[in-house]
Amino acid sequence: MKSSVKSLLVTAIAGAVFTAGYGTAWAQQSAAKDSVVVVATVGEPSTLDPVGVTADLVSIITQHVFETLYTFDKEWKVMPLLASGMPVLSADSKTFTIPLRSGVKFQDGTTMTADDVVASLTRWTQVSPRGKTTTSAIESITAKDANTVVIALKTPFAPLASLLAMNNGAAAIMPKSVIDGTNPLKALVGTGPYKILEHKPDQYIRLIRFDDYVSPQGAANGYGGQRVAKIKEIRFVPVPNATTRVEGMVAGQYQFADSLPAEMLPRLKDAKGVTPIVVKPFGFPLMIMNSRAGVMTNQGVRQAVLAALGPKDMLLAAFGDPGFFALEGSIYAPGTAFYDKDSAKNYNQNNPKKAGEMLKAAGYKGEPVRILTSTQYDFLYKMSLVAQAQLEQAGFKVDLQVLDWATLMQKRGEDKAWDAFFTYHTFVPEPSLITFINPAYPGWWDTPEKSAALTAFNTDMNPVSRKAKWVKLQELFYTQVPTIKVGEFYNLAASSDKLKGYVPMPWPFFWNAEIAN
Amino acid sequence: MANPSATKSRKPGFLDSRSPTALLLRQLGRRPLTLIAAGLLTAVVVIALLSPWLTPYDPMKMDILHRLKPPTAAHWLGTDEFGRDVLARVMLGARLSLLVSFLVVAFATVMGTILGLVGGYVRPLDGILMRFTDALMAFPDILLAIAFMAALGPSLFNVVLALGVVYTPRVARVVRAATLVIRELPFVEAATALGVSTPRIIRVHVLPNLMSPIIVQSTFIFAFAILTEAALSFLGVGVPPTTPTWGNMIAGAQQYIRQADWLILFPGFAIVLTVLALQMVGDGLRDALDPRLQKVT
Amino acid sequence: MFTYILRRLVGMVLVMLIVAAVIFVIARVIPGDPAAVMLGSAATPEDVAALRTRLGLDQPFLAQFLIYLGQIATFDLGESIFLARPVTQALAERAELTSFLTMMSVGIAVAIGVPIGIVSAVKRGRLVDQGTVALAMLAASVPSFWIGLTLIRYLAVDLHWFPVAGYGPPDASLAERLRHLVLPAIALGIPNSALILRFTRTSMLDVMNEDYVRTARAKGLPPLTVILKHALRNALIPILTIIGLTTAVMIAGAIVTETVFGLPGVGNLVVSAVLRRDYPVIQGALLVVSGLYVLINLAVDLLYAVVDPRVRY
Repeated sequence: MKSSVKSLLVTAIAGAVFTAGYGTAWAQQSAAKDSVVVVATVGEPSTLDPVGVTADLVSIITQHVFETLYTFDKEWKVMPLLASGMPVLSADSKTFTIPLRSGVKFQDGTTMTADDVVASLTRWTQVSPRGKTTTSAIESITAKDANTVVIALKTPFAPLASLLAMNNGAAAIMPKSVIDGTNPLKALVGTGPYKILEHKPDQYIRLIRFDDYVSPQGAANGYGGQRVAKIKEIRFVPVPNATTRVEGMVAGQYQFADSLPAEMLPRLKDAKGVTPIVVKPFGFPLMIMNSRAGVMTNQGVRQAVLAALGPKDMLLAAFGDPGFFALEGSIYAPGTAFYDKDSAKNYNQNNPKKAGEMLKAAGYKGEPVRILTSTQYDFLYKMSLVAQAQLEQAGFKVDLQVLDWATLMQKRGEDKAWDAFFTYHTFVPEPSLITFINPAYPGWWDTPEKSAALTAFNTDMNPVSRKAKWVKLQELFYTQVPTIKVGEFYNLAASSDKLKGYVPMPWPFFWNAEIAN
Repeated sequence: MANPSATKSRKPGFLDSRSPTALLLRQLGRRPLTLIAAGLLTAVVVIALLSPWLTPYDPMKMDILHRLKPPTAAHWLGTDEFGRDVLARVMLGARLSLLVSFLVVAFATVMGTILGLVGGYVRPLDGILMRFTDALMAFPDILLAIAFMAALGPSLFNVVLALGVVYTPRVARVVRAATLVIRELPFVEAATALGVSTPRIIRVHVLPNLMSPIIVQSTFIFAFAILTEAALSFLGVGVPPTTPTWGNMIAGAQQYIRQADWLILFPGFAIVLTVLALQMVGDGLRDALDPRLQKVT
Repeated sequence: MFTYILRRLVGMVLVMLIVAAVIFVIARVIPGDPAAVMLGSAATPEDVAALRTRLGLDQPFLAQFLIYLGQIATFDLGESIFLARPVTQALAERAELTSFLTMMSVGIAVAIGVPIGIVSAVKRGRLVDQGTVALAMLAASVPSFWIGLTLIRYLAVDLHWFPVAGYGPPDASLAERLRHLVLPAIALGIPNSALILRFTRTSMLDVMNEDYVRTARAKGLPPLTVILKHALRNALIPILTIIGLTTAVMIAGAIVTETVFGLPGVGNLVVSAVLRRDYPVIQGALLVVSGLYVLINLAVDLLYAVVDPRVRY
């Protein structure tokens, strides 16, 4: 063939290959750039303002949009996020100085300054259930300069850093301009890697990449470190029916599904393209008793409850698969900083006979014990049925009331209306964050010994001696028995095999993750 | 009509008489399907009534180690997620589902008949009563039931109340329409002219003639009540799951649809069989009681 | 004729007033507190009380009722506590789905019920007839949620012919959306087709016994012409009215079906509203749905009146 034609042909072929190669790369890139991840959640969140509520569902979504000063690394230690370093404590531990990063952008285009932080933190102390626990300890919150915030404390307060790092009831940082006292926010503007694109209740919440996001430095570590929004859009879809969440995953309709029934693990293992994820630690179920009014004010009766219950059967009925629970009496599981075995030795007695004797000794006259439960959380409902059977075996008279969640929430606030209720607590890294430690929380554990122990625990800034103070609290927990810890349980979630770079944590997050083709 | 002497050579008995019951039974006899359905229903009712003595195991006894076992010789219908025997629970469920529906029918029939009679007889009240029943019928039955259940809380009594109120208007309308017709019939007019008191007229003349439409309505309301109770339980606003009904058994078994589908299948079959039987009996009764067909006998 | 319509309209207004009162009482008697649900498990009673005041939930009942009546008169159904938007908007957003679902179910029910009903009537007494009547009763005995669960399991999960749940992504086309409604429409349509089938059959049987049909047959007209041109046309009116009433029934059936298939329609909204104690939505949705019922019944009655002069009394 003539050389000119040949060279033309070669050029043409080269050109085609070149374009094809680049073209596919471009296509893949733009596919990655335009990628959508659909996440099936347990329902519709009550709000998208992370400050006022502690619901897990709200924090899972809002943690992508809002950020806090600090956060937790993979060992659940506090690390900086919007702060530029760990807080500096004065010698008497009453001044808490927080250095801020500079140049952090809000989603409305403005830059974060200390004034925004002060306004956000002030609102947090007024509106957040966690923030409100600080009112007795915090004297003032002020901006020392554009990049430094100072919190003056009345007494040393050890939990402060952890409270600032929590992502629910969160001390989220927002522009001063959207804050209106304790009223709802004027706009949902944060500093996070994603911003809210569209919210259609009961259909979807669309979060889209915030292009001007300023990420913290350092390797990704737990919730902290570098955050890169590789996925373009995260779409949270409320799917209240658990079976539908599972089937939707298997059918490829969702790329991630949260809170799945433990029973469905085999289904997920067999399904192609889907990987089940067991999230450990996750939480612990509780049977909270009423220490303020009714038959449970009698400590002997509460101790009898502890003796009567056999957590193994309760957990087996609730979760089915032993891989999803552990019989652990210590409030914090082995491997965590606050684990202690000895103070939890009263756990798992499973002795109805002994319980019967303790009941007589306590002077129990057969008053019906009103236990509230709900089918809203299937595992709680199931374990309450087993508990009822075990308590009745010991000689308790049980009135099990199955309510819908809304009614249960309302009733548990009325001290004359119940004697015990079932709920669960998600893992929290800081003990002061546990709900029943707070004397204002339903159950109302408020004895002089406990108050003293709690104050001692909260004002001790030394981690080692603090642990000893926690052990003292746990001893009180197992002698005064305000609440029964049933055990540990783990969460089952599922992710598509196409979702790469996802790091399993309670409150799943999707920065740094991407969809492969 | 058949030649009397050519039919049977036995002595004429009750079934050959002209009493309404005999007529009815003769009509039913011509419909074997209806009789089979009626037999099935009777069996279900008997099982329901005798279930405390018939159940092979205690329906509430948990045996966690043997949970979710498929049907075997030991447990004919398998075990549920707590290890409880499914056959025992289906029987106990029969008791409750039928009890709820029966009470609903009783409530609706009594209240509906009273309302219908008042509306049919007391002219000034008729208008407002009919507006009231219109208002109640304006709600889809399940919607009203959900709202009631949410307002009153989940319990067997409240389910009965909610569904009873929902179905009362239907009976009331039928009774009112029938009353208006019966009032104008010659023998009632004659009784009034003779000075018979109204309550007696109602008791002796009107009510017996209302029986047929009421009975037919009742069978259908019974069927609706079973289906609606199942739907309410499915949505989570029915009888609390501590006491098993067929409906809440299915609701609780949803998540086991793959590994233990017998948990849905058996209560489901129970519902289908009972409702089917009820419909067949209702249809058969309606045909048998149809005045047009009675002339042919 | 005019006075008849006027009288019916006045009656309708009265009915709706009673309906509104009943709805209000029910919604207020419901225990459980929307404020407690919204704030989550860790909220203290003080937080809850503060939210109640902010939402206006602590005003006396009578005041709340009068406000409520006034609002209805101006078509203002209030604002959803949970969704923070007007109830009318929340309903409007979901109306499309529920209307499509209802229309498709009615379509399926009619497509199955009417032809088979006609065939059954024509072949009266024969095996075909008895079989279809029995099948129809069977179809009406199965709870629609069971049908739905079964359809999902086999047609969506195993065969992937249809999506498992939901109404499709935000940018879905109309065809895509309708595809999400196919299984729910079947689940809803089958039990109701039984009703339409039985009614068509009865209606046709009544008509076929009429003199003019026998005359047509005697005249030697082909059977198909007799059925379609003479019998069906006259049987159509009662059939149409039952279709109208079935539509109303479907709206109720949509509640359960939407829950099974996770469809964000009006029915699902009502159930969620009850579980979340969202009073304004419960009231508004009940009002709108019962209003629709009343309107459909009115239309059916008027249709009867138009067709049958004997009805106007």
